[in-house]
Amino acid sequence: MANLSVNICGVPFKNPVIAASGTYGFGREFHELYDIGQIGGVSTKGLTLEPRLGNPVPRIAESRGVILNAVGLQNPGVEHFIESDLEWLRSTGPVTIANVAGKTLEDYEKICARLSGKVDMIELNISCPNVKSGGMAFGIKPETVEEVTRVAKKGAGNTPLIVKLSPNVESMANNAKAAENGGADALSLINTLTGMAIDIERRKPIIANNTGGVSGAGVKPIAVRMTYEAAQAVQLPVIGMGGITCAEDAIEFLMAGAVAVQVGTANFTDPYAMPKIIKGLNDWCDRHGVANVSDLTGTLQLNGR
Amino acid sequence: MKDYKATIVSNEKIAENIYAITFDLGEQAEVRCGQFGNISVGGTHLLRRPIAICKADGTQVTFCYQIKGEGTQKLKTMGAGTSLNVLMPLGNGFFVEENEKKIALVGGGVGVFPLISVLRQYYGEKIISAYIGYRNKDAVCGVDEFTKATRFVGVTDDGSYGEKMNAVQAFEADLAKGNRPDVVLACGPTPMLRALKTVVEKENLPCYVSLEERMGCGIGACLVCVCDLTNGQHARVCKDGPVFNAKDVEV
Repeated sequence: MANLSVNICGVPFKNPVIAASGTYGFGREFHELYDIGQIGGVSTKGLTLEPRLGNPVPRIAESRGVILNAVGLQNPGVEHFIESDLEWLRSTGPVTIANVAGKTLEDYEKICARLSGKVDMIELNISCPNVKSGGMAFGIKPETVEEVTRVAKKGAGNTPLIVKLSPNVESMANNAKAAENGGADALSLINTLTGMAIDIERRKPIIANNTGGVSGAGVKPIAVRMTYEAAQAVQLPVIGMGGITCAEDAIEFLMAGAVAVQVGTANFTDPYAMPKIIKGLNDWCDRHGVANVSDLTGTLQLNGR
Repeated sequence: MKDYKATIVSNEKIAENIYAITFDLGEQAEVRCGQFGNISVGGTHLLRRPIAICKADGTQVTFCYQIKGEGTQKLKTMGAGTSLNVLMPLGNGFFVEENEKKIALVGGGVGVFPLISVLRQYYGEKIISAYIGYRNKDAVCGVDEFTKATRFVGVTDDGSYGEKMNAVQAFEADLAKGNRPDVVLACGPTPMLRALKTVVEKENLPCYVSLEERMGCGIGACLVCVCDLTNGQHARVCKDGPVFNAKDVEV
């Protein structure tokens, strides 16, 4: 049995596999299928100060190897989460990461302050591509990434702050550094890539929002490359995600420099994807004589040229 | 709810563009009428296909599906012996109260298949009238099941089978003759449900409708497949539905 535990910003994870925000709710539905206590962490559905109804339907489409979604941050609001779901989620065992979004800098500070000390970590969504005011405006340029991070960190206080970065940017390295300069404790990436899928019979986009965030197996090489770039650019722990379907995919991200990974779309294809990835990580480590999964982080050796 | 490694027993065309696929689950599943399964077709298709359960008989379960896109195109090529992952049963399903003795089923298009599951569950126990609309005679299917109902009225848009009218008109015609049900259960295209909602409101009849929407997880976690409630809130079609009281949802 390999040691799968990792430590991010002083928070111990029993394994490096975290449910990605928006694919897992607050964990309740998946808990009907398996004990979610075996998962390393859960990043909650994106929370906002006030409840949000989200976008019109259809909110999802499929293209070969990927999906597109535009849910638009539908959520019951942070107060409802604190009252109804937080205690339950914490008691089930995974590290509880509250994913938060806002319209203004003030929103980010307020929601982080509300969750400070209540959750294990806060993940800042500054890269939701599906709502005009979902933080995407903050996530594109390094200057605003740094600014929103600084403000959110003030609210988060001692609760470690993960900044979730958008791939729809000029330079991942620059935005990663900007988050680091703003006081982020960790980074996670990538959020979805903005895309479009068209119903050619109707000559209209399938998704009501017209564009949606692309995720799933097909985005993995882009996500691995960006994880590598971010990990090279900063001293902070990096949580990698984008198209992870199996343990071997997760290992690519670890080797590229990630300390942990998030799994999103794969939960739709196979609701047992995460327990299988955790088991697969252990098996791979055992087969390869790797005692600690954390030993894999950043072990990538680039080809000489 | 369980993710079954289900083996295809048969997979055949039953009407124009409509196929029936029967799986053996290897064990008996507790299924209520109106529930659905989320079928993985594999390969580059990352989303499963949510399809209504038509029949559940012992360890076997039958789904009927319309060929719509690449996923269902792929599904129709799969033969007996192939195994697919089927997450089921999902959703709430139809419930009929003890005192509701007379059921009217109103359906059209692929919406007829969940109604077959209602017929099979309440056959012999309730008085069931089925009002089923098809596009034309080539689309007619499920008649062997619907003729087991106390009364079956099959109609088509072009009059090539039964009378030329839609399912709601057939239901209204019977209402006018005094054949009044205790509850109406419906599934079909949105215009049909909309027309039906107007009729049941006017007649003050309890009515439950099964809705369809593009889904993500199928279990209520991702909030992709929402519908609008009359109170301004959203409900999840996969988990809170797919069956809703008609007066609670906007159709």
